[in-house]
Amino acid sequence: MIQTLRRNVSAYNALVTLVPKLYLVYQSVFWIQFLLQFVSMIVLVYFWRAVYLGQATLGGLNLRQTLNYMLLVQWILPLLDNGLILHFGDWLREGKLAIELLRPLDFQSQNFVREQTDMFFFLLQKLPLLIVAWLVFGLQLPADPMRWVAFVVSMLLGKAILFFFQWIFACLAFYTTDVSGFYHALNAAAVFLSGALVPMAMMPGWLQRVAYSFPFAQAVSVPVSLLSGIIPLTDLPRIWLIQVVWLIGLAGVSRLVFRIAIRKVTFQGG
Amino acid sequence: MARYLKLYLWFWAQRLKVLLEYPGSTLIGLFCQILTQIPGILAIWVVIRQVPGLGGWNYNEVLLIYGLLTVSMGLSFVFGQNLWFIGNGYIRPGSFDRLLLKPIDPLFMLVVEYFSWSGMGDALMGAVVTGKALLALNIMWSPLKVLALLLSVGSGTAIFIAVFLIGSVSAFWIINSIPVTALFYMTHIFARYPLSIYPRGVLLLVTWLLPYGFASYYPASYLLGKEAGTLVWAGPLVAATLLFIGYRVWLFGLRHYASTGS
Repeated sequence: MIQTLRRNVSAYNALVTLVPKLYLVYQSVFWIQFLLQFVSMIVLVYFWRAVYLGQATLGGLNLRQTLNYMLLVQWILPLLDNGLILHFGDWLREGKLAIELLRPLDFQSQNFVREQTDMFFFLLQKLPLLIVAWLVFGLQLPADPMRWVAFVVSMLLGKAILFFFQWIFACLAFYTTDVSGFYHALNAAAVFLSGALVPMAMMPGWLQRVAYSFPFAQAVSVPVSLLSGIIPLTDLPRIWLIQVVWLIGLAGVSRLVFRIAIRKVTFQGG
Repeated sequence: MARYLKLYLWFWAQRLKVLLEYPGSTLIGLFCQILTQIPGILAIWVVIRQVPGLGGWNYNEVLLIYGLLTVSMGLSFVFGQNLWFIGNGYIRPGSFDRLLLKPIDPLFMLVVEYFSWSGMGDALMGAVVTGKALLALNIMWSPLKVLALLLSVGSGTAIFIAVFLIGSVSAFWIINSIPVTALFYMTHIFARYPLSIYPRGVLLLVTWLLPYGFASYYPASYLLGKEAGTLVWAGPLVAATLLFIGYRVWLFGLRHYASTGS
């Protein structure tokens, strides 16, 4: 029992240490991405300033709150990127899925550990962007440590929720081998439905209901609203409860869907 | 010249045959690409309708800018997407040498080897948005305005392609040119909204350096009779100049090409 646990921990540990190495390889790509996101920030700051020229509040938010929210979104936005379906597609086409499934670790768990670690280094690496937003665009970060705790916890939960949702979606790859169209469409939908383009509060009621019926907001709008102070901390128990329900539900469904979908797979030689 | 035109059409016919070989996949790809345009438009719909306007432009006027830019952007991918892949798709695996051995211009060969079908999805969506905005705006049409509209789509597309071309040349030195091209390309998001909302530096950048403004802001200004509109006639000249510069840069890069030798 203890031995199995130790073996598992060391295996997952190896996965964890792999991620920063991968990040370090692509330094130039990182800096270009940094510049690209800086351009996006300039656009969004002037866009929102122009929007607020005529009024004090929009959907109950003033300009300062909206900018805080939107700038923080830029920091965690690329978390939405759904690479899992592309991985599945690649593994299928190249016949590697068989090998992945044969590994003596639970297939979903190893992917989960990799994706979560990925997120951690990703946020660390994107810290310069946050500093630029603070220096150049006047981003205000909360001083209350409780807000940061609330943000980190709900973002971890949100990313986990998203992982299981993307897992279900990635199983589509077992039915069609051409996944790139789905990948782009889902990413586009995720960006909007997560509240990353427009804060949820500004959407008309019906659109808010649609957006909240998808899990994307749990990973972007909810944690960022906590950090930027749009949601009061007294709402925390309710928010975490909702997130845990999402998490348990999607985790269960994702394992079920995978069990059914995997029967569709035919390994092509490989 | 006539030979190149004939070849161009021939390559297009081949591409269409490939697309028709898998009609389901082709249609899903097109549909998905149309979907990817919806969030940006929805965001404008949600925000701009709640306020008087954006820098003096109302909801439909902003849509017109957005739509025009999207048409040019989409068409540029249809006709020029392969310029993005010169590094990873040709130089790295060593197949750029193959292009050099063909009895036609290597740049021509590179461009015609792939036409992006998904770009057509963007262009279609852009055309729908542009059409919707034009209908809602009650524009007093004149032959000059129709001419300006057509010229701006042509020159807008050419400007995007020229930027792809200039970015692609970096592949002769750094192999993977995509980050450089992406950086030049992404600047186009400034031109999604009226340029009047930005500081002067951005206006100059998007007018004279990476002139995406000629694909959106200036033609829209002209059609709506706004002040900045007269610049629309500079569009074709700017596009031709940029293409010329792009081609010179390409020739310069080509002289520095060293095969990967694989």
